[in-house]
Amino acid sequence: MGTAAAARTVTDESGRHLSVPEDPRRVVSFAPSITEIIFVLGRQDRLKGVSRFSDYPPEAGQLPSVGSYIHLDVERIVASEPDLCFATKDGNPKDVVSRLAALQIPVYVVDPRNLEGVMETMLRMGDVLDAAPKAKAVVEEMRSRIDRVKALVAKAPSRPRVFFQIEISPIVSVGEQTFVNELIEMAGGTNLAKGPAPYPRFSREQVLALAPDVILVTSMARGGRFEQVREEWARWPSIPAVRHNRILMVDSNLFDRPGPRLVIALEILARLIHPELFVPDPLEKKK
Amino acid sequence: MERPLLLKRLCAVSTLLVILLIAAIFLGVSSGSTGSGIRQTLRTLLIGPSAADPMSYTIIWQIRFPRVILAILVGGTLSLGGLVFQALLRNPLAEPFILGISSGAGIGAILGILAGLPRFPGVTATAFAGSMITLFLLFVMSSGQTLMKKDTLLLSGVMVNAFCAALITFLMSMTQDSRLHNILFWLMGDLSTADPRQVGILALALIPCFVLLFVLSNSMNLLLMGRDLAQTMGLNIKITTLTLLLVTSFMVSLTVSLCGPVGFVGLVMPHLLRLVFGPDHRVLVPACILGGGTYMVLCDLLARTLPEQGEMPAGVITAIVGVPLFIILLKRSSR
Repeated sequence: MGTAAAARTVTDESGRHLSVPEDPRRVVSFAPSITEIIFVLGRQDRLKGVSRFSDYPPEAGQLPSVGSYIHLDVERIVASEPDLCFATKDGNPKDVVSRLAALQIPVYVVDPRNLEGVMETMLRMGDVLDAAPKAKAVVEEMRSRIDRVKALVAKAPSRPRVFFQIEISPIVSVGEQTFVNELIEMAGGTNLAKGPAPYPRFSREQVLALAPDVILVTSMARGGRFEQVREEWARWPSIPAVRHNRILMVDSNLFDRPGPRLVIALEILARLIHPELFVPDPLEKKK
Repeated sequence: MERPLLLKRLCAVSTLLVILLIAAIFLGVSSGSTGSGIRQTLRTLLIGPSAADPMSYTIIWQIRFPRVILAILVGGTLSLGGLVFQALLRNPLAEPFILGISSGAGIGAILGILAGLPRFPGVTATAFAGSMITLFLLFVMSSGQTLMKKDTLLLSGVMVNAFCAALITFLMSMTQDSRLHNILFWLMGDLSTADPRQVGILALALIPCFVLLFVLSNSMNLLLMGRDLAQTMGLNIKITTLTLLLVTSFMVSLTVSLCGPVGFVGLVMPHLLRLVFGPDHRVLVPACILGGGTYMVLCDLLARTLPEQGEMPAGVITAIVGVPLFIILLKRSSR
């Protein structure tokens, strides 16, 4: 739809070829992580619609909603007259992407698989959104922060055993193919739920047997039941994490959005897993 | 009934219902998540794509219209499903959803989706297989004669539904497939995935079935008079019953594979239409297609306009209307 401005053909991260405007003016984001990337690239003035839970930065919440990540509202997307949409390969329904394509609305699909992939996605999006220099600068900053954390935890004497809990009932953790697994390993910990299943379920008994040194709980933003979870774990003092009072809460929005804030998540993890390396806090000092 | 009289009644009923259907279609295409405007819609429909606003033209014709057509096809199919099963089983409470046939098709569809099959013909075929298996189960659980008894039939349906619900939860627990993200919505009966191409295929497949059921409508009248009488009137009961069962299950499976199991439409519409237009199936078959379509368009309209944010599955509305009616019918028939 729209006027035939200068266009070029690009290949998105799912391998689809699509024609995108040389200088997209009306952009719609189908995921909170994509919204965050567009803001960090300084292209928020072109955002005409975002998915429902796009709440960071706070200004993103003011933008018109086009339905939730899983249940996108095609009518609202079309009504925002986009000249380019950004979708994620796994989260967003495929049939919405194909329906929009049938309506001549280009949809650029991103598919980052790890931290490196997120930075590549940001560079590609920067290229498409005519913000390549900004993307390069942001990614360079992310790389240097990642390297600082890596250098720091390399000095750590041990790799604490981490149980990362993303769901309370049933208990669900994260396997190998996830961003959180990568972040835990990078922050100098061992992910106890490592395995082929992306989101493995655990019984209380299994967690006891794993004897985690640290238990990290994320679902805080969705209901604030952290105290209750901590009390439940506190009944099992045989778990080292319970004995040493290392049941900790993290903001799930930092960890489950493949966007620019993953590097903040990494720094938080490093501090929680290796508090001994952070007195005094070397990351703070360098800022 | 005499032939000319029947034709006259048929015309009168159809005209009335077509007018209602057109009104419902108009309401359906004139409102949506980006707001509604009767005048705006009229202008877009009358003036065409050359009008100043190509965007609302796209929204009306490419987004809302396929969805309204889908609703008509689904509503017509499910109403017919109820009508056929009520006649075949001589039980006022029979309906594809209550009998568990929709759930069976649902299981088949989920397996098809998990196997990565395309919507047509793959998922439709697995859904059809699922519905046939549940139908077979129903017959095994209550052998021929007793199937007509209300309690046996209902209990069998409840059991089939419970088993299917358990199987669905089982499948969802065993896989962590992202393709199942949307499944909860779909399980309640959801029309939001109306893709113009798929709706076209659905229409092509369903319309011959509608015609076939209309051809068989007099046989349904005879079946209701009882087996012996029907046989003396020259009806081949076995073939007729089998054809009706197969065609209806096929139609229901088609809609389930696209929109999930929508419940109670087959209960509400046939009863309402029978109340208004009498028991003749030659009138009721077209009335169910048109009336059921109208009803579903309106239910889906409520489902997508009532919530302030997003929408709800249309099956929520049909269940809220249908379940109280079911209870009333149950009470009345047990007296």
